[in-house]
Amino acid sequence: MIIAERKPLREILEMISGMEKVLVLGCRGCVAVCSAGGDAEVDVLASALKLGRKRQGKAIHIDKDTLVRQCDPEYLEPIKTLGREYDAVLSMACGVGVNFIADRCPGVNVLPAVNTSFFGANLSSGEWKEMCAGCGACVLHLTGGLCPVARCAKSLSNGPCGGSVGGRCEIDPNVSCVWNLIYDKLSELKRSEDMKEIMPIRDWRTAGHGGPRNRRREDLLP
Amino acid sequence: MTEGHSNIVGFCCNYAGRVSEEVLREAGLMPDGVRIERLPCTGRLEVTTLLDALEAGADAVFVAGCEEGTCHNLSGSHRAHKKVGVAKGILAELDMDPGLVEMFFVPRAETGPLVSAAREMASRVAGGKKGQRSER
Repeated sequence: MIIAERKPLREILEMISGMEKVLVLGCRGCVAVCSAGGDAEVDVLASALKLGRKRQGKAIHIDKDTLVRQCDPEYLEPIKTLGREYDAVLSMACGVGVNFIADRCPGVNVLPAVNTSFFGANLSSGEWKEMCAGCGACVLHLTGGLCPVARCAKSLSNGPCGGSVGGRCEIDPNVSCVWNLIYDKLSELKRSEDMKEIMPIRDWRTAGHGGPRNRRREDLLP
Repeated sequence: MTEGHSNIVGFCCNYAGRVSEEVLREAGLMPDGVRIERLPCTGRLEVTTLLDALEAGADAVFVAGCEEGTCHNLSGSHRAHKKVGVAKGILAELDMDPGLVEMFFVPRAETGPLVSAAREMASRVAGGKKGQRSER
């Protein structure tokens, strides 16, 4: 899922400085699952902003709402009119939701309340880890299911590099060297010989280096 | 923060410090301006409850829950402690004193620790007001 994190309150207060009526808009998709922008986080942010504005001596009217998803047009429909009633819609969705509101809701001033961080897994309650970079050219079949693009600091296709020491990455001793993990995983699967196969130079155009990515499926188009 | 009397809200577990606020006040034990809100369990508290109390005019807010290992609902006060921690973080982000929100673990059969918690918060508020006055 997409992992996000609320922006510092000071940054959000600065964004809405001078505004008198704001809608805090949550999303029940990924950001709700990672406890960054669902109903509960909308409540906390609204309360925190009211308290912050009170401390600044500036009144503010804050309404709250949460959409099923901010990345599907049917759920955004009400925001096209409702959003215009506010000085700003403070979206707690990932950047996709913010962009989609900006694209689809003319006259609505949408602002981001979270930083969209990465595609990650939920290791335990309150702990997430990046597992996929969305590079558009998956090589997990070659690496025992472990992603060198997302989990190697250098995104090496043929690792490990010389900075791998004792199974740890040189950038941080708390970070596992994914190429060490890949070797262990392939060995466990009796496929360690696969490591000798050199992966070709990657074509990074699918990773967004070729411009914004789109996908169309003719069979699903209206 | 208002001048003069402090306005403190204490969210207290129904099973902790069972003597009522009125009785404690009549006995001269509870500081003026402290209001106790009884909850079935402090684990039910939300971060917004604490923040909204401050936004509504409370000078400080505290939570009094069961001592670790004695919680009537096993982990209610533990969860409340975490939420108090979140609220403290938010106050720090807003350049407010995180000490204006506090968690106290109080024995279930004694009222003394609840009174002490209320006095501690009254003292913090008084100290803050004194600090504000001296800055002027």
